[in-house]
Amino acid sequence: MNAAVRVETLKLTRSPVGVIGTIALVAGTFALLGGITAAVAQGNPDLTAKAGPAAELTWHGLISGAVQITVAAGFLGFGVVLAWIFAREFTDGTITGLFALAISRQRIALAKLTVYALWVAMVSLALMVGLLAMGLVLGYGAPDADTWVGLGRVGVLALLTGALAVPVAWVATLSRSLLAGVGTAIGLVIIAQVGALAGAGGWMPFAAPALWAMSNGTVVTFAQLAVCVGLALVSAWLVCGSWSRLQLDR
Amino acid sequence: MLAFEQVERLFPGGAGVTDLTFHVEPGEIVALIGLNGAGKTTLMRLALGMLRPQRGTVRLSVPWAEVGALIEVPLAYPELTVGENLRIACLLHGCDPQRAQESLIAWQLEPLADRRFRHLSLGNRQRVGLAAAVQHDPTLIVLDEPSNALDPASVLLLREQVLHRARLGAAILVSSHHLDEVSRIADRVLLMNRGRLIGELDTGGQDLEQTFFARIHEDDDRRLATAAGVGR
Repeated sequence: MNAAVRVETLKLTRSPVGVIGTIALVAGTFALLGGITAAVAQGNPDLTAKAGPAAELTWHGLISGAVQITVAAGFLGFGVVLAWIFAREFTDGTITGLFALAISRQRIALAKLTVYALWVAMVSLALMVGLLAMGLVLGYGAPDADTWVGLGRVGVLALLTGALAVPVAWVATLSRSLLAGVGTAIGLVIIAQVGALAGAGGWMPFAAPALWAMSNGTVVTFAQLAVCVGLALVSAWLVCGSWSRLQLDR
Repeated sequence: MLAFEQVERLFPGGAGVTDLTFHVEPGEIVALIGLNGAGKTTLMRLALGMLRPQRGTVRLSVPWAEVGALIEVPLAYPELTVGENLRIACLLHGCDPQRAQESLIAWQLEPLADRRFRHLSLGNRQRVGLAAAVQHDPTLIVLDEPSNALDPASVLLLREQVLHRARLGAAILVSSHHLDEVSRIADRVLLMNRGRLIGELDTGGQDLEQTFFARIHEDDDRRLATAAGVGR
């Protein structure tokens, strides 16, 4: 298992997909936040109206903006990288080399998910640290207790979004297609957005983390967030099972 | 080491392989020849667990860690260098990554060690794939058309490696289109046609090509006659 994790780590860190995915999620989020902040500071009325709570030049505004961006960009960014991690073996043809090895395909799939989880955790940490740095640079002062909680909530939101993207790996495996995986990631963005707008509530797992973060944790319970984690674990189990039973029959 | 007993695997539409019975013993090189679409790759996929038989049994007397294979695409990733690819192949086969260095020397890949796989020629990619398949000293080796894209010097290298590993006791199953090549190295040559093994080819004859096509046509004629008999 350790060997498979080493292999998958090397593949992700050396690939343009891993590097670009990380830059898009982290730098992209801060570029958007910078743009919103600049527009609000210049008194742009259209953007100020659209940004809602993010239109405040305070820690609260900055964190609200980060939550809104992470909800949409998270599913897409995490989902695309995850789809690539799994589908590439089929599109590159390297899947034939993953049979008849000392390490089972089930463990290889688990190693892929482990490396993905570590990457999601690092991106989440980078978002939190970056937000802290950005707020300090913008002169919002030393963070108070609410601000620290808000920063933590952005990190948890990113982690949960990454976890909820795991079904993408299952679709990419069953379809053996990168595009199908990416399409699923886009579908998850739509489900999360529509679910939140339609008031699906905390029992709709794909919308629950967004509702939780946007309401400062007031409208979603711990049990409802636990369902998100459960969904991710079930998806991971399905992925490993599919890799274990895999046949190259098409 | 590897034994097929009346193995069948058919795909929707009727293509596939049927009634495959053969074995490969330690130290033996068994070559598989046939026209395109004869079922050689399907047979090898069955041997390596990439496909499960619908009938019959495939038996391997060694654990997967002792198997080395190259089927269609090398186990190598475009973003990694040749050296890195050989090291990850070692890790996945359960052997010491240090062995990749010996492999670079054995397959004359040292000058390419730091070059990314995506920048290699087709022949060099094939050499990396072959090195990755056998560097962990497998006792069962399965190679699907291993001389594809290789230059004459690399074909010689491949031949030496295959013979060397057979002398060490490995059981080797290799498919090829090159009758002359297989006649030089194989202990037995199995003929495959339209999803069935139709016997062995005597490699001691004068004109291998003529003998090969005669056997294939003979089998085709027999099938046609059988089909016509059934149709009447």
